[in-house]
Amino acid sequence: MKRFIQCAAVAALSLPFGVAAAKPIAFARGTTVMGEYGAGTMEELQVFYAPRYFYSVGGGHLALDSDIDGRSRDITYARFNYLVKRWNREDSQANVFAWGGVGRASLSETAGDETAWNAGMQLDYETRRIYTSLKTDLYEGSSFSNRVGTLQLGFAPYEHDYESISTWFVVQGRRITGGIHDGTEVAFMLRLFKGPVWVEAGATTDGKLQAMAMFNF
Amino acid sequence: MYKSAIWTCLLLLAAMAANAGTIEMKVNGLVCAFCAQGIEKAFRKNPAVADVVVSLEDKLVAVQTKEGTDISDQELRATLTDAGYDTKSIERTDTPVAAIRERLKSPPK
Repeated sequence: MKRFIQCAAVAALSLPFGVAAAKPIAFARGTTVMGEYGAGTMEELQVFYAPRYFYSVGGGHLALDSDIDGRSRDITYARFNYLVKRWNREDSQANVFAWGGVGRASLSETAGDETAWNAGMQLDYETRRIYTSLKTDLYEGSSFSNRVGTLQLGFAPYEHDYESISTWFVVQGRRITGGIHDGTEVAFMLRLFKGPVWVEAGATTDGKLQAMAMFNF
Repeated sequence: MYKSAIWTCLLLLAAMAANAGTIEMKVNGLVCAFCAQGIEKAFRKNPAVADVVVSLEDKLVAVQTKEGTDISDQELRATLTDAGYDTKSIERTDTPVAAIRERLKSPPK
């Protein structure tokens, strides 16, 4: 939690310099800052800038903390995100995103740092009432490999418009491999967004906080 | 009688010209506030744009151009494509964007 607060502080300080993304690409010439606290096993901060609607560049910091044996990873990375395909329909949108990056990882099991590679993919589909996304994110170095897989299903009780608050009920399932967590973390969340601000918070089935905030500008 | 008819026609033409700067675009993929935000931001950067309103309900982007300016259909489509969305239709109307905004705010009948 302390590390997450430190990351959030760094993000807040960096805002005036125009850095920031949750879909990894929000919109053309847009900056996204996203911070997530994931049930004590995963904390992440990301900052991306999208020169065009189909790609963004930036970086992030990921902390993974095992609830099995106490091992941890701190990975700082630069990343390129690419919109592989978008389907725009009258009442819906679907996307396929892919990304890759490189950075440095610090592991609790070893004294030094090592190079870390990152690759991932996201499929999503949304209407004004339904949201689904499936994301897989692999972080790998010479002595570690962790994959974070996240499935989200969301339902909006009403159809929001641009100038109204959007409310969603979201169920999330997450698996983190490589000795971080056994089984699937399931969380129930309330998501609210309006204009450039998106916040969501809830709890996992074992009572741990799951929260995310995102700003697009 | 003949003179007054001419004046009426001239006044009507003048009124139509004054409001001719509204362009209503129907857009596919417009499902979230971030989509709207990106599109609004893109159009506001155009120096010919005086006002923009976006409606997710109506899948509508309406742009009011500044007096004496216009934006070609090609440029409108390019702006939407560059924002990541597909243009379904473009229509030039005499309804000011302020009136569209008011219409969107009123509850459906």
